[in-house]
Amino acid sequence: MENRQEKLFELLDKSGASLYALLTRLTLREDVAEELMQELFIKLSNYKELRKIGNWNAYAHRIAINLAFDWRRKQKRVCLSLNNVPEIASNEKSPLSSLINSEESQEMLDAIRQLNKAPRQAIVMRYIQQQPYEDIAEQMNKTTHQVRALCYKAVNRLRDLLGSERKGIYNVEH
Amino acid sequence: MSNIDENEILSRLEKLSQIKPTSESTERAINRVRLGFTWGTVTRSYKIKSPSPIIKFAVAAVLLICAGFFAGWLFAAKPIDVKQLRTEIEASLRSSLATSCEQIKDELHQQVQRDLTEFAAQTLAASTTATDQRLIELIRLIDAARMQDHLRVAAALEKIEMDKAKLGDGLQALAARTDELLRTEQNTTPSKTGG
Repeated sequence: MENRQEKLFELLDKSGASLYALLTRLTLREDVAEELMQELFIKLSNYKELRKIGNWNAYAHRIAINLAFDWRRKQKRVCLSLNNVPEIASNEKSPLSSLINSEESQEMLDAIRQLNKAPRQAIVMRYIQQQPYEDIAEQMNKTTHQVRALCYKAVNRLRDLLGSERKGIYNVEH
Repeated sequence: MSNIDENEILSRLEKLSQIKPTSESTERAINRVRLGFTWGTVTRSYKIKSPSPIIKFAVAAVLLICAGFFAGWLFAAKPIDVKQLRTEIEASLRSSLATSCEQIKDELHQQVQRDLTEFAAQTLAASTTATDQRLIELIRLIDAARMQDHLRVAAALEKIEMDKAKLGDGLQALAARTDELLRTEQNTTPSKTGG
């Protein structure tokens, strides 16, 4: 039990900031990221077969990605009133550019949510976490070629998803 | 097909990658997790309690019912294939009828055999009775005819006896007359010789 806690503290020290940043990027909300961070470590502490985990960092990141997209899926069903809309995490300073940017980010993340698990994980690690292919391949137990192929297919799928969404909006407008 | 190019997607993804939480919020989140583990409060408040067996059972029952409804809906929604249905009904009817037909045939056969045996027995009994009666009648007729014959023979014998008696009487009368005639002739013959 003590050993487990030590490992978790070690993980928190080593990858806590990275995990929190990942959760913030995927949820676009710091408050939600904080909650999901708690949930992530609870999950890790409750996991019974911790000995089987080879790479703690990769495992934690994988769970974080799943938690974030699960939250996004649930959010689809919840309608927020305009007064309760929280401030979205963004680096842009201008309110208009911030709004456009956040809309685009939401659209992109919703499209990523619709991908299958493996391509979703690959694209998040590659393009959102900016990790090299070699690291991703190691974490996913795949070759770099396979990861590249996954990313390529995922980008194509995102093009389709975002294109169809845009077409739908265009049709409604006209 | 899509009117969004790869560069735009990559630039959007890059924008996402550039989002960074503030250092205060990062520190707060990490400290919250650390404190939670140290005092054991966070885990308790966020632990997902295992549902009681009753709830599990209820959920399982609801899921089963839903599955049943879904299955029912799935099967009901299917269009009815009349040909297939007819073929199936035909096959099932044929199989059931074949069995019952065989049974009925057997029963009928047995019934006919029983009836025939009974009829034969009755006919034999009836014919035996009739034959007996006829035989008795025949015997009676033969007896009657024999009796009649006896009576006739007796009558004939009696007549023969009577005729015999008459013949005896006649013969006696003839003998007497012959004697008388002879005596007469003898009487006459000496006179003629003496004469």
